[in-house]
Amino acid sequence: MSEWLQGAIARGQQVQDGFSDQRAASLALLQEIKWPNRKTEAWRYTPLRAVERSSAQIKELSPELEPVSIADLQFLELVFVDGVLVSLPEELPDGLVIEMQESSLFGTIKPERHIFGLVNDVLAADVAVVRVAAGAVIEQPLRISNLMSEGAEGHIRVLVDVAQNAKVTVYEHAESQSGSLTTAYTEFRIGADATLEHYRFALQSGNQVSIGGSHFCLLERAQLNSTIIGFGSDLQRLDTDIIHRGEKADAKLNAIYLLDGQELFDLHANVEHEVPNCTTEENVRGIAADRSRAVFNGRIHIHRDAQKTLAELNNRNLLMSDKAEINTKPELEIYADDVRCAHGATVAEIDKKALYYLRSRGLTKGQAQVMLNFGFINELIDQMPNPTLAEWVRPIIRERFAQMEVK
Amino acid sequence: MSNSNVLLSIKDLHASVEEKNILKGLNLEIKPGEVHAIMGPNGAGKSTTGYVLSGRDGYEVNSGSVTLDGEDLLEMDVEERARAGLFLAFQYPVEIPGVSNLEFLKASVDAQREARGQEALTSAEFLKLAKEACKQVNLPVSFLKRGVNEGFSGGEKKRNEIMQMILLQPKVCILDETDSGLDIDAMQVVAEGVNSQRSPERSFIVVTHYQRLLDYIKPDFVHVLADGKIVKSGDASLAKELEEQGYAWLQTEPREDELED
Amino acid sequence: MTEQIDKALAREYEAGFVSAIESETFEAGLNEDVIRRISEVKGEPEWMLEWRLKAYRVWLEMEEPSWAHVSYPKIDFQSISYYSAPKSMKDKPKSLDEVDPELLRTYEKLGIPLVEQQMLAGIAVDAVFDSVSVVTTFREKLEEAGVIFCPISEAVHKHPELVKKYLGSVVPTKDNYYAALNCAVFTDGSFVYIPKGTRCPMELSTYFRINEQNTGQFERTLIIADEGSYVSYLEGCTAPQRDENQLHAAVVELVALDDAEIKYSTVQNWYPGDEDGKGGIYNFVTKRGVCHTNAKISWTQVETGSSVTWKYPSCVLKGDNSVGEFYSVALTRGRQQADTGTKMIHIGKNTRSTIISKGISAGKSNNAYRGLVRMNPGADGARNFTQCDSLLIGDQCGAHTFPYVESRNPSAIVEHEATTSKVSDDQLFLCQQRGLDAEKAVSMIVNGFCKEVFKELPMEFAVEAGKLLEISLEGSVG
Repeated sequence: MSEWLQGAIARGQQVQDGFSDQRAASLALLQEIKWPNRKTEAWRYTPLRAVERSSAQIKELSPELEPVSIADLQFLELVFVDGVLVSLPEELPDGLVIEMQESSLFGTIKPERHIFGLVNDVLAADVAVVRVAAGAVIEQPLRISNLMSEGAEGHIRVLVDVAQNAKVTVYEHAESQSGSLTTAYTEFRIGADATLEHYRFALQSGNQVSIGGSHFCLLERAQLNSTIIGFGSDLQRLDTDIIHRGEKADAKLNAIYLLDGQELFDLHANVEHEVPNCTTEENVRGIAADRSRAVFNGRIHIHRDAQKTLAELNNRNLLMSDKAEINTKPELEIYADDVRCAHGATVAEIDKKALYYLRSRGLTKGQAQVMLNFGFINELIDQMPNPTLAEWVRPIIRERFAQMEVK
Repeated sequence: MSNSNVLLSIKDLHASVEEKNILKGLNLEIKPGEVHAIMGPNGAGKSTTGYVLSGRDGYEVNSGSVTLDGEDLLEMDVEERARAGLFLAFQYPVEIPGVSNLEFLKASVDAQREARGQEALTSAEFLKLAKEACKQVNLPVSFLKRGVNEGFSGGEKKRNEIMQMILLQPKVCILDETDSGLDIDAMQVVAEGVNSQRSPERSFIVVTHYQRLLDYIKPDFVHVLADGKIVKSGDASLAKELEEQGYAWLQTEPREDELED
Repeated sequence: MTEQIDKALAREYEAGFVSAIESETFEAGLNEDVIRRISEVKGEPEWMLEWRLKAYRVWLEMEEPSWAHVSYPKIDFQSISYYSAPKSMKDKPKSLDEVDPELLRTYEKLGIPLVEQQMLAGIAVDAVFDSVSVVTTFREKLEEAGVIFCPISEAVHKHPELVKKYLGSVVPTKDNYYAALNCAVFTDGSFVYIPKGTRCPMELSTYFRINEQNTGQFERTLIIADEGSYVSYLEGCTAPQRDENQLHAAVVELVALDDAEIKYSTVQNWYPGDEDGKGGIYNFVTKRGVCHTNAKISWTQVETGSSVTWKYPSCVLKGDNSVGEFYSVALTRGRQQADTGTKMIHIGKNTRSTIISKGISAGKSNNAYRGLVRMNPGADGARNFTQCDSLLIGDQCGAHTFPYVESRNPSAIVEHEATTSKVSDDQLFLCQQRGLDAEKAVSMIVNGFCKEVFKELPMEFAVEAGKLLEISLEGSVG
């Protein structure tokens, strides 16, 4: 067992609060678990050296940090600094409640897929519970910011319960300074006929470790539209689960990863179709430049009863350098016959015809490449339901492309 | 020598694709302001001519020379040729989802202007120009916001090509089967766009299989390309002749690939 | 529909008979002495024994793999007999006349006549019965062309330089648990060498038969195609119907030197167990080929048998411009479990691979495709195309796809697609409306689904494979 894990367990034994039962169960599992290595399927391509070597520590006193402001967008802000909830919205609209007490949601949506989920169960200091009342339509988006100061360790956990017929937008935002280590998990229950618009942007890069997950459970006719954008870092790992538990639920997930330098990004997206008549559409696109490594695992699991499921996953990757690496594994596990399921994955270089077309209009190869890369990603950005957020993130992505070394 | 007055000069050009010889000694001289039509049967090398001149990968020049304004065209990269004033309107323009037409056009025009030592246009200036160009080829302004050629109909793609030509102001325009797949109305729009760009400085190579486009874009010269070289040249009346008699009479010997069949 | 499927699936396994042949069978159990005895019975040279013992020691340190999408009770390796041969084979019959007629009758019953007059024209057969090769036909004719086709136990004696050089060169002893076990206890199998520039004058084929109870079959096949040569090799297998599971852990190694081509086809019809999953063969096989410059290896498999299949015929595309292909039809029914696929390792420049996998699941079976496509940094311009299609018949089965794609070269292109479908009511209705019964209709639809793979099989095999599917599907529709 790693030293790091031993430390986490020792600290976990001291946590006492309203979630103690759940925490104790996870702690017990954690004491039994093997530290992952190359043969652990969930970590096959993602070494944990960055965690093992991390010197991040829980801070007694954290600096005051504020999340970046986005022009034209006013959020209901939920801000964590170094794992501690430091600010809540001053005023909450009708139908929205944020509390810090126990919730039966804790740990029910996030599966025990791997060690860091358990670490978060045990160590997340302030568990925030967000409740959207039945029928409430929350116009203003809620932003959950996970801000990490230099060298800090922090673990955050948010539970979001969207009651039936309610509608809400949640944006999970993260900023990490160098040397920090964080785990950040959210669990969403989307009630019958409810709608969740979700964003998780992991744009923090550089010398830091971020591990986390967004996990969704959809009840009857619930709708989820989620956009995930990830840049890499020393270690950046995201897990997402979409569980269809009520019939006629519909989920759409668009995910993007853009890696440069020696960055690593690992996205595991799992979809469980437990009941009939649900639909899932996933579009995942990634670009790896320089010496970076991208890992994608997209699993779709159709349970025995989930007849009439429609599920599709499309994963496209561009490799920009011969030192970069893309590892992708789309998986189908199907136990029902009357379903339409498909996945496709490609790893390729840029479309040569398009490159020629752009150059024939006078663009240099470099310009054309940046433009095509951007277009490849922008197709998914264009689909974001919130245009203001799209406007904000587009130049950030463009900037990233401009910095990527083009051969 | 009258060479000083020649804009594009192609001399004994031999080129191949995947080791198959397509152009086998092409000669052509084009002076400013002239419109040359290149006609010919399928497989004669018409589209290849456009690709070779624009420098597409995989199109190997084996011998011969091409100059544009006295500069060696074959030495240049694809984009350098474009900046030197060569424009190819594609028969099948590629779709580039995610890259907006406006963004693409602005970048192309910026590149041209930079090459000519002109200052870059502001976004507002450019938008105004682009909107005018849209109007000229009868494309709704909303097309500027869509992905390059993404989901465009065949006719819309062709008009988008002409719009680019209008914006880029090239010296030599090669129209590669711009009439293919167009109905009469669409063809008229395209032809009007082209005609509006005719000037004493600008030359055109109109590659087409059918004569009908030439009713709208009147050529100064008509050349017949067969088996990789020009086998007959004449004025506009040659096109009419071809229309009536087809191409078969031009081919004294059967082509290799026909023998194989 | 399910009920009717279950009822109708209780069909006969045609190769399920037992031959009354007196055998010499080792008592169950595995240890170094057993390995020494195997080596002794085979009269092997010392180096071969050492190789086996080394492998055994490696195996002892290894763990049985658990990553496949299959489940079965833990195998007790001490309850298996590792050697069994008909007594009549002890004196090494010199010609067919000396072979026990009961043995010949067994193969005849299986549709593989070994008497030359009755043989299928153009196919040379090595018939392996439990742990020994019974006979290899057309050997003289092949020798004329310089082709060596003989039992591997014989090659150890007659061609030690080739065996030493290539045995374990493609599948190293440590490769995996079952491969290591095979290295330690392999008994027989076929050896093929095609000399430089030679096109093998006939199809080569090995027919594996398990007969004896409580034995495992551990065959070893080694095919070397020297520069510029070509060979097409076919493999078939059956076993009696028994209530116990029997283990079959084979290793096949292919070496295609520069400009050589090997086409390897398998029709695997081991006993699949009964409807409740009782009995059947555990088919845990390691097959791999290495392609040198401009070489090509093509694997085609039709898998209808075995209760559990764990098999990934693979290509290491080492040489520039080399080509790997994998065409597979895997049909599972009853309680069969298959976890099969391929690995394409692109090392050389401009290497190409194609993977076409068709999985058909019926009954309460589970059928998984598992594949790996790896583009190494040096694989400039390499291409892979993978198509995995699953067809589900009934709502009690499972169809799974686990493709791993690893790319480290920006000029390499990998394309993977997977779909799943069922035999639709509309398709069935159309066929039935035209007068076909449901079974015929399904078999037609399934055959159509598999067409891309069947066309890769040598003709005799394609017919057999089609028939096999038809039998396997008998009654799988309500």
